[in-house]
Amino acid sequence: MTTNIELPVFTNNSEVELQGKWGMVVDQDLCTGCQACVAACSMENNVPFVGEEDAGYGRAMHWIRIERLWDNTTFPGVKMTSYQPTMCQQCHNAPCEPVCPVYASVHSQSEDLNLQVYNRCVGTRYCGNNCPYQVRAFNWRDYTDARTRPYLTVLQNQLNPDVTVRRRSVMEKCTFCIQRIHGAEDKAKSEGREIRDGEFTSACAQACPANAITFGRLDDPQSAVNKAAAASPSRSRHLLDELQTMPRVTYLTGGV
Amino acid sequence: MASYAKPLARRKPHAQEHEDPRELLMHDPLPRGQMNAMVMESMHETTPIFWVVAAILAVIVVYTLGYDWYVVIMQGQGVTGELRPDYWGVFLVNTVFWIGISHAGTFISAILRVLKIESRRPFTRAAELMTTFGLVQAGLSIFMHLGRVWLVYWMFPIPNERTIWPDFHSPLMWDLMAITTYLLCSTMYLFLPLIPDLAMSRDRTESGWLKPFYKILALGFRGTEGEWKNLTTAMNIFAFAIIPVMFSVHTIVSWDFAMATRPGWSSTVFGPYFVIGALHSGMAAVAIVLFLLRSTMKHYKYFLRPEAFNTIGMLMLLVSMAWAYFYFNDYIVPWYGGNKWDKILQEYTEKGPLGYLWFTMLFVNIVVPWATLWNKKWRETPWLLAIVGFLINIGMYLERYIIIPVGVTINRMPFTWRQYYPRIEIPLTIGTFSLFLLLYMLASRVIPLIPVWEVQEGQEAHMIRKMGKAEVSTLSDME
Amino acid sequence: MSETITLLAMFKDFEPASEGIEKLQEMGLTDDDMNVISGIPIKNTILGRPPAITYVSRIGFMGALMGVALGIFLIYGIPYLYPLLVGGQAIFPVPQGLIITFEMTMLGLMGFSFIGMFVDSGFPSYTPKEYTPEISDGKVALLFSCPTGEQEKFVDALKNSGAESVAPVEARQL
Repeated sequence: MTTNIELPVFTNNSEVELQGKWGMVVDQDLCTGCQACVAACSMENNVPFVGEEDAGYGRAMHWIRIERLWDNTTFPGVKMTSYQPTMCQQCHNAPCEPVCPVYASVHSQSEDLNLQVYNRCVGTRYCGNNCPYQVRAFNWRDYTDARTRPYLTVLQNQLNPDVTVRRRSVMEKCTFCIQRIHGAEDKAKSEGREIRDGEFTSACAQACPANAITFGRLDDPQSAVNKAAAASPSRSRHLLDELQTMPRVTYLTGGV
Repeated sequence: MASYAKPLARRKPHAQEHEDPRELLMHDPLPRGQMNAMVMESMHETTPIFWVVAAILAVIVVYTLGYDWYVVIMQGQGVTGELRPDYWGVFLVNTVFWIGISHAGTFISAILRVLKIESRRPFTRAAELMTTFGLVQAGLSIFMHLGRVWLVYWMFPIPNERTIWPDFHSPLMWDLMAITTYLLCSTMYLFLPLIPDLAMSRDRTESGWLKPFYKILALGFRGTEGEWKNLTTAMNIFAFAIIPVMFSVHTIVSWDFAMATRPGWSSTVFGPYFVIGALHSGMAAVAIVLFLLRSTMKHYKYFLRPEAFNTIGMLMLLVSMAWAYFYFNDYIVPWYGGNKWDKILQEYTEKGPLGYLWFTMLFVNIVVPWATLWNKKWRETPWLLAIVGFLINIGMYLERYIIIPVGVTINRMPFTWRQYYPRIEIPLTIGTFSLFLLLYMLASRVIPLIPVWEVQEGQEAHMIRKMGKAEVSTLSDME
Repeated sequence: MSETITLLAMFKDFEPASEGIEKLQEMGLTDDDMNVISGIPIKNTILGRPPAITYVSRIGFMGALMGVALGIFLIYGIPYLYPLLVGGQAIFPVPQGLIITFEMTMLGLMGFSFIGMFVDSGFPSYTPKEYTPEISDGKVALLFSCPTGEQEKFVDALKNSGAESVAPVEARQL
């Protein structure tokens, strides 16, 4: 649904630009459901393997998931909706932030992202409960401990050195590949310039064979992200818009 | 003329409802020395069965809270049944349940004292002890729930070198402040009226390890005018001040759920609904505890008379009606429609795989008390009231189970819906119940559970006077 | 000043105790020389005694004010020192301020009332005191000091108004 109705904004931080810095556009009509983004994200961010039993129980820890929903399940009219890759929406008014008692989930004003501070997390899991998109994952066990999981001694070579490896009882979620953001920002700062659009991208956007995910700066009107969102305004929507969480991810759906 | 229908004449006359006031505890005074001796004797005479039961409970506590909790801490929360999206499970149900139980003690010792309901006198301490031990179990349950419980001190607002303090935007921090306040204040409120009885125990204990225990805890209390004035002033301040704290504590616990954006949880009626729910389960638990005390402790049949159970039974009936009112409020709004997710959750609760829990909850919370507690004779029967209380507690546990683990199954992203089943939470729950009973049993050996000075104070104030042809009970205002 | 001796008179109930107090007052003892020790609190007007002064409520009120200060520090001082943005909520929140200030006020009020009771009564005190265990068995005791030579007439007067026993008493370990 189009967002050309100016809804009043009932938050106290009107002095912060609502556009923010980093955002994504996900084109559901292009998405093929191949799960390349899921694999790339897990490799980039050291998302642990939980094992067969726990995954079957529902504890898979993927930071992005492809949701498959059906409009009609009776034969012969079985119809699926388009695939919905769901990751942390980096809400401006994130419901997961005020409920953490120890400030482990805070908002970055410089990047307008929701930060999960692993070493501060005490494991109350209120943020996981309160996320309306249910995109937060909890380390239910020591999935990264090579002493209890011998196969990890070999797989430790594939870990990304830029990203922390989390231990048990810590909440985690998609960070918009903040290690890549900081890497690009550091490079740009050392060269004395701003980050160019397209200089880097998130793991999921990089891996998508259909170019369904576009990542970039929302405060640059010429960026690929803004162009993708503006190209088809009739298709763009936010997930769970009625909650006024002001997510940074725009979904394009509904046919060309 | 002779064939007037006389329907009223065919009914049996009402049994004499005006009971003899001399049967009430307040009108059946014994010398204080004799009452003291009775209480001391029931405290120090212990049968072997007591120690057998205590040993069994201790073994259960050590195995569950010692070993099973160790497993939870070392292996992580994965040994519980929680998963995405059901991040909160039975541990939270236990926490809310035990805080609920703890509210009855304050209700009886504070609200009944303020309202000057004299029949509360013999059982205020037994109920207040439930508060303290119930809050201990609640604290344990929430610690079991924390993932990295060894870092729980990060939630305490104390100066530290990390240059970061806890986040008071979070309802969990309000919880911490409120429950800490409530635990400290109700323990102080338990201790204040206990001082004169500890002084009595000190006077009547000649030797053994208990003598220095009573001597130290009695603080040198004698009963001079100044000491009584200070004590009663402090008790009155506590009685008035702990009532709003009691209401605020369970309201704040309910806000853990009401502040969430989940369907079914984000309800504005949760505050008073949870408070009444707490009173419901708490009063029912008091009925069970008083029945157990009356049956097992020597001489307690003198103190805990049917009129005490009658008072509690009437309160149970009243609170069950209030609970039904609030539950109906919380039910009809999503039923009426408008919010798709609330309606889906409601249908899942009633007609889903755990629908029998919902039905059982309504039956035991509403039908059972409404069917049994109208009858005064039944209210005055301790074992019957204890059974009704036990059923109500089952119903209130199911109510919290329906709100938390069943409620988190439905959210706004249908792709994530999954049902929760408890695993190691079951033995840990049994552990908290065993620890509660064990602490209570041990406390009954050490401190007198009947506030004898309050009973004597009440007996001095009551007398029987003749009004017309009847003998009525009169209460003088001696405060 | 002549020496005084401390006597303890035991009464069965507050009725004869109040008569005994009246007798002693007629015989010239001031209210400060007398003290009533009992097993239940007895209102001062029943015994004909002046009202007892207590500072507990004042100490409690001070504690409530300290609680208010603590609550305001927790909810407004902490974000002032370490501001962190969460959830689009105000950094200095008002509703949370009311909740935390209320809780801390109540904690201060009750905590300081409790401590005030200890301080005002001189608890804990394990020094020897004048006392008999019969007091916790429901008797009312009248502790008074009179000039040494005249103790006979005091004893007789109290025995006539119904005292069970009147005897000199020494401080003993409780």
